[in-house]
Amino acid sequence: MAVSVTASSIPSLCSDRTTRLASSSSNLSSSSSLQFPLHLRRLRIRTYGVSAPSRPRILPPVEAKKQTFSNFDDLLANSDRPVLVDFYATWCGPCQFMAPILNEVSITLNDKIQVVKIDTEKYPSIADKYGIQALPTFIIFKDGKPYDRFEGALNADQLIERIETALKVKQ
Amino acid sequence: MTLQLQAPSFGATISSLPSPLTRSTLRFVIRAQVEPTEKSVEIMRKFSEQYARKSGTYFCVDKGVTSVVIKGLADHKDSLGAPLCPCRHYDDKPAEAGQGFWNCPCVPMRERKECHCMLFLTPENDFAGQDQTITLEEIRESTANI
Repeated sequence: MAVSVTASSIPSLCSDRTTRLASSSSNLSSSSSLQFPLHLRRLRIRTYGVSAPSRPRILPPVEAKKQTFSNFDDLLANSDRPVLVDFYATWCGPCQFMAPILNEVSITLNDKIQVVKIDTEKYPSIADKYGIQALPTFIIFKDGKPYDRFEGALNADQLIERIETALKVKQ
Repeated sequence: MTLQLQAPSFGATISSLPSPLTRSTLRFVIRAQVEPTEKSVEIMRKFSEQYARKSGTYFCVDKGVTSVVIKGLADHKDSLGAPLCPCRHYDDKPAEAGQGFWNCPCVPMRERKECHCMLFLTPENDFAGQDQTITLEEIRESTANI
């Protein structure tokens, strides 16, 4: 699995993001003769010691959008709220059907639960670890452990009800 | 899967560039998308229509779901030689394709008309629509943004 760093863990992440943009633009600069301010160049050199050997893939942290985490277990361990994980695949019809519903639920229950989607084709080891078979499979994690699990598509109301039932028994 | 290179704004330095290179044209988009072949999509589309008729089932009210599944079947047909169910996670896809239980129409569908992909829906299903047909254009439109 590719290793990349979460936004919250290392402060230099901002410089990583800037670095990535700077280094990708440096390709442009060679053709369009742009000169970069010295401090950006210096940042690029500094973060090489911190990041993984492969180019770090970091996307700006946006609510309910794609992010790359170094470790799924870290995500679960460091979450302040229960986590709803959607195991999906690109060409799974019901999974795509659930995408806007998950967005809506994630916004509605923003303070109660964190919604995470895992592409089982990109991360088969995580899917294997939790014995995923049918897609979509939803697992609600509390305190880093699977608490509730259900398969198949459902509408927003049913999903919210299911989540709230699971959260009600929270200590 | 989409890769995008986007140039950040540099403000003053841009004005020194020749005029055709405005900020908007400095955006390079490299799109690397996994798409099934048109031929396979057409084959699976025809199969889906025919099997829905034969089994007395209907497509989903949301044709987007139907389109995605048809493309998923086509994708597996391209990569594995058989239309393995796209709505499952497998340890070993080629082995499963060879074994056949989950090749569309899968055993649960053939025996109990159970299609968790929501491709073939019995009339009493909440999500079942009225159609047993779908055009290539509908498939293309519904999956344009995937």
